[in-house]
Amino acid sequence: MLEQGKISSAQMGKMIFLAVIASAVTAVPSYSGKYAQNDLWLSPAWASLTGFLTVYAAIALNKLYPQKSVVEYSTDIIGTIPGKLFGLLILFFYIHMTGLIARGYAEFIIGNFLPQTPISIVIITMIAVCAYAVKAGVESIGRTAQLFFFFFMFPLILMPFLLRDMKPDFLFPMLEHGLLPSLKGALIPQGYFSEAFLMSFFLPFVTDRGKGMRSGMLTILGIALMLTCINLFILLVFGTQAADYLYPVMVAFRYISIADFFENLDSVVMTVWILGMFVKISIFYYATVLGTSQWLGLADYRPIVLPIGILIAALSFWSIPNLNQASRFDVISFPFYGPLMQTICPLLLLGLALLRKKGKQQSQAQMTMAPEQAHTHTEKQEG
Amino acid sequence: MRGVVLVLLVSCALLGGCWDRTEVNDLAIITAAAVDKAGKDEIDLSIQVFIPKEVGGGGLGVPTGSSTRELTTVLSGKGINIADAMSKVQAKLSRKVFWGHCKIYLFGEEIAREGIADHIDFLVRHPEPRNRAYLYISKGKAVETLGIESVLERSTAEALREYASLHIGMPVTLIDFRNMLKSEAQAVAIPYIQEGNKLKDKEQIQKNTPLLGTAIFKKDKLAGVLTSKATRGLLWLRNEITRASISVDLPEGQGLVSVVPIRATTKLIPRIANGKWSILVKIDTEGDIVENATKLNMMEPSSIALVQKSVNDEIKSRIRLALFHLQKEFDADAGNFAAAFHRKYPQEWEQAKPMWDALYPQIDVNIQVQAAVRRPGLISRPAGSTDEHGKAEK
Repeated sequence: MLEQGKISSAQMGKMIFLAVIASAVTAVPSYSGKYAQNDLWLSPAWASLTGFLTVYAAIALNKLYPQKSVVEYSTDIIGTIPGKLFGLLILFFYIHMTGLIARGYAEFIIGNFLPQTPISIVIITMIAVCAYAVKAGVESIGRTAQLFFFFFMFPLILMPFLLRDMKPDFLFPMLEHGLLPSLKGALIPQGYFSEAFLMSFFLPFVTDRGKGMRSGMLTILGIALMLTCINLFILLVFGTQAADYLYPVMVAFRYISIADFFENLDSVVMTVWILGMFVKISIFYYATVLGTSQWLGLADYRPIVLPIGILIAALSFWSIPNLNQASRFDVISFPFYGPLMQTICPLLLLGLALLRKKGKQQSQAQMTMAPEQAHTHTEKQEG
Repeated sequence: MRGVVLVLLVSCALLGGCWDRTEVNDLAIITAAAVDKAGKDEIDLSIQVFIPKEVGGGGLGVPTGSSTRELTTVLSGKGINIADAMSKVQAKLSRKVFWGHCKIYLFGEEIAREGIADHIDFLVRHPEPRNRAYLYISKGKAVETLGIESVLERSTAEALREYASLHIGMPVTLIDFRNMLKSEAQAVAIPYIQEGNKLKDKEQIQKNTPLLGTAIFKKDKLAGVLTSKATRGLLWLRNEITRASISVDLPEGQGLVSVVPIRATTKLIPRIANGKWSILVKIDTEGDIVENATKLNMMEPSSIALVQKSVNDEIKSRIRLALFHLQKEFDADAGNFAAAFHRKYPQEWEQAKPMWDALYPQIDVNIQVQAAVRRPGLISRPAGSTDEHGKAEK
């Protein structure tokens, strides 16, 4: 096996939690708000359905092929050449996504805090740190996730500071146009939820895999709860103007003012958020590196960490020219692109694998009976 | 070893420094900004810049020249919009302008009549200005307010910010402004302050109050101004009253009684019956008596009842006054009745939305006030009463 490290299912859950939420948290209230208006707090609940499906697919596939990742078992399920092709697609998807995430991170930093700094520096420094984590292996990523998970909860504690500025009236009228707006608002977050499929790369290293399903489902529940909380909080503070801000959460934390003393808390929130983004990029990066070495059948994945890092940095520049293209991609392509690669394809694979297994069992059953028949058959022919 | 050398070499590249490094002594910190109309399609942006004192200048208790030194200075520039004018102002300063601590945005009356949304856009879009900053509309030219000295505070900006946190008028931040603008009613209320040159010297400051009332906007254009008294009515309507003393004249007691509300809540209950739109303003308030210039003993239940009734009428008349201006004069729904209707009657609202401007002045408003006087203060009989105890005081 390429990776010697081991993680616990709780660590895996926290990794997936951060991988999904780190970027979702900045933009989701704005995207959901655009379609769901004042029902945006309902959207994450709908979106989490994709998350539950994805986790189910990833874990069921892992049960069939406990020691393999998606890149490896795809060849077992659909044959060598289609399987390799599918693996290539998945790898391309992940390397592309990593590039986009790194770019999104850099756009946020540049737009809000470091306008003079060249964007390449922000991206390259982040990827360099992540490369270090990836090189250190799954265990260290798991442990960082475990630690940073608690830091990431910190902004939730700050939310009550805005109670004074919250207006419950913004909640009403609830479901004015039925459920449809909130479902539309769920379309974009469900793309983020599909990222939970990354667990298929990590499940082979989980020691207590029996708890995998439980921790996976809890993770999705946790993400849905946190997004609901954040959406609700943004709605109560901003009303329908939430959709106008590119980073409503940041603006909200910047709005906190307690006794003219606790102000400009956005810098605290940004620090925590960078930690989350670090984990997120590391996980995507790691999945890409591990998948690529499995696809190529390498003995060690470490030599390709840096080359892939360079590719990721390059892709972060090639993929999108500016922020509004990035946000267009998030709204128009990603809600379909993400779930297609991470939810629908795995579900199809799972279906085929189950059919195959059934077929195999049948043929095995036939095989036990078959030799005698075959024997007589050949005799007859000879005769 | 090779690794260490490599790391050292690579970090040499970073020695050039950080691109976004800013030192406090390279910044000109804006404390307030004022926008006025300059000419056709031109604005006049004025900023109040904080002047940092030299560290260690003057000893303890030794009056030096620096003690009378001004703390702020005002700079202006003309331009087609804020960003353009800003570059003109920047050219006059040796330090880089920094918006992060700007707490007050003032708009002149003239520019308010033309619309301020375009200027607000800069303040919300640019990463430096903070959304927590308060908005004010100034009578006459806004820049004049920046120049005057404050009696208690470091600058006028600080004084205005304190006003906002005292809740004497309506504190309106950028977020509040946008919430009002994007609400169903699309009417905005912003505190309206006195012309700066009427508050220049000590005498004027003693005579004039800086807060004149509330500027009412239809969309982002100034429609009219509510007086201080009408502003109270508006605050009651918006459920934002926190500090107000209500003085009522009691004919029975031949004098005035003042009550300070401790708690007040306002509910807007809309009703559509037979196509007629009406709204019930339900106010629940309680307070203490702080001044009693009548001959009544405030321990008597009957006199408390008298006070309560007069307080009810007084609050009603204030709201009526505000509503008269809002409905009949400005046709601007600053009390946000539209949102109340939207919440209770979503379908009817959907149809009425385009003609809300025509509908709003026709809305019948019923006011129901439930005022409760809880405590008579610390004394029972009027302080000036010479009657003996036990005698009937009526």
